[in-house]
Amino acid sequence: MTQEFKPNLVGYLCNWCSYAGADLAGATKLEIKPTLSVVRVMCSSRVNSNLVLTALAWGADGVLIAGCHPGDCHYEQGNYYARRRFALLKKILESLDLEADRIQLSWISAAEGKRYADIVNDFAEKISRRGPSPLRNHSKI
Amino acid sequence: MTPHQERTGPGAVPAQAAFLPAPEGTKKAVTDFLKTLMDQGGLDALLVPVEVPDTPFHAWVMVKKSEVLDKAHPLPPVMSVQGGRALSSLTKHGTPWLHIAAVMRPCEARAAVELAKLKQVRLDNVVLITIDCPGALPLAEYVADPEKGQERYKTVADTWHENEFLRPACARCHRFSLTGLEDGPSEGPAPDDAPASVDIHIGLLGEDQNGILLLPVTPSGAEILKKTGLEADRPTAGWESRVRDLLKKKKEKRQAAHEEFRKDITGLDRFLTVFDPCINCHNCMNVCPVCYCQQCYFDTQTQFCTSSVYMDRARKRGALRFPPDPLLFHLGRMSHMVLSCVSCGACEDACPVSIPVGKVFSWVADETQPAFGYSAGTDRGDPLPLQNFLKEEFCEIETPSACGQAQSTEVKENA
Ligand code: SF4
Ligand code: SF4
Ligand code: SF4
Ligand code: FES
Repeated sequence: MTQEFKPNLVGYLCNWCSYAGADLAGATKLEIKPTLSVVRVMCSSRVNSNLVLTALAWGADGVLIAGCHPGDCHYEQGNYYARRRFALLKKILESLDLEADRIQLSWISAAEGKRYADIVNDFAEKISRRGPSPLRNHSKI
Repeated sequence: MTPHQERTGPGAVPAQAAFLPAPEGTKKAVTDFLKTLMDQGGLDALLVPVEVPDTPFHAWVMVKKSEVLDKAHPLPPVMSVQGGRALSSLTKHGTPWLHIAAVMRPCEARAAVELAKLKQVRLDNVVLITIDCPGALPLAEYVADPEKGQERYKTVADTWHENEFLRPACARCHRFSLTGLEDGPSEGPAPDDAPASVDIHIGLLGEDQNGILLLPVTPSGAEILKKTGLEADRPTAGWESRVRDLLKKKKEKRQAAHEEFRKDITGLDRFLTVFDPCINCHNCMNVCPVCYCQQCYFDTQTQFCTSSVYMDRARKRGALRFPPDPLLFHLGRMSHMVLSCVSCGACEDACPVSIPVGKVFSWVADETQPAFGYSAGTDRGDPLPLQNFLKEEFCEIETPSACGQAQSTEVKENA
């Protein structure tokens, strides 16, 4: 089995910025690795830790949360709260040594098609190098 | 929104305290004090553990008649219902017409403070009183043999953490005394607005073992003590240095225990192994004082899918266990409440299959709370970390990392 590993990624994208950024990336025909399953959310602060954990438990190799740049959230402060929640989840996974590097938080505006493509491609590459998530087929899960 | 600041700690170790002699033992002295409080402190009622008649157990009782206090004690041999939870059931919907005092162990008072921030406890009419805590016995062992338990608890109450009978949470507890003393600054007088989480603290570790100290921590605590006619004229320095000595030992113990935990519980395989015996009863959540949600996500049907979805997952994986995703409950619960975890150990006391839930949660609490400059239950004025933010923080967790960038140009001030 020397087939190249294609990661299975989940992206929670905020409707107002990052999702529009993804749209722009598509419209301008930027090359994006087809590894990210996109879930549109109304704000990065909508992403409860359960959504991230469920994706991981169900075998996602990586989870991306993307929202508006700090200061630009459509709901003014959502992304600041999102960042704290993400920080907590990241620190929990780090402290338990549970694949913390498989989750990522990025800020992508509606105008940043190129940044979207870069971030998604970089994330896909990073996780490809990292290999499949051990949760995918763990006998205890 | 005020940014979180360096915590100032309680600062407020009062220099002097009232002294109550205890010719018949400290337990009796504490009871006497509660009676005086009730009769002269201007309070309508006391919430305190009281012996259930003809049983070896205690229950939280709101006492209005001071005779009942003969059977009351804030330090029963086991922790039955966590005090924070008891206070929540009493004050959740407000206490406008009652002026009560709640007398509890430090970890219970911490939970009450967290619950107040979560709007599950009202403290506005409550005098919070804590007591130096020698720890508690494991609940299951006590229930199996209460007589032996009571015998053992005598040793526990006398030996101040130097015994092998304590629950694991108590064996490594470094917050058994006045809340905040363990991480606040010790020197110098406290500023008038020094944050404090309790009003009165009962010191049992004073140099004069023939009495108890009553420390007026807040102005309202001082006022109530004054009403009882007890003069705060004993220096607390001796008590404080005893507490600090024990604290130092306990902190070292906690540190050592945590290094060991790192080997026991970190890494996916070990983490899953810890939770192998879990029967998914959710007891740990139901007894946890800071798990307050009326409807927990993990008790809803929302998390379950149609069987075709499970069939699909099972087909891809080759097998799937049911109920699915045992890991999700524990990690999900943790990600919701661990910043408020007070390391009280109620969860592992309640686990029917002896999973060290409290060990895992308090380990993660110790690892995560400092990152937010937070210590659960220490300071009433400190906002909950997840209900607060700074515009510039945690740059290291963003990808690409925003550290070192002039972020302020990006940050738009919201009017
Ligand atoms: S955890 Fe600490 S405060 Fe709570 S019962 Fe045990 S020793 Fe007392
Ligand atoms: S998780 Fe356990 S130790 Fe932490 S507050 Fe809840 S019951 Fe207490
Ligand atoms: S109390 Fe124990 S068995 Fe029950 S859900 Fe919690 S860890 Fe699992
Ligand atoms: S609307 Fe985009 S992060 Fe809140």
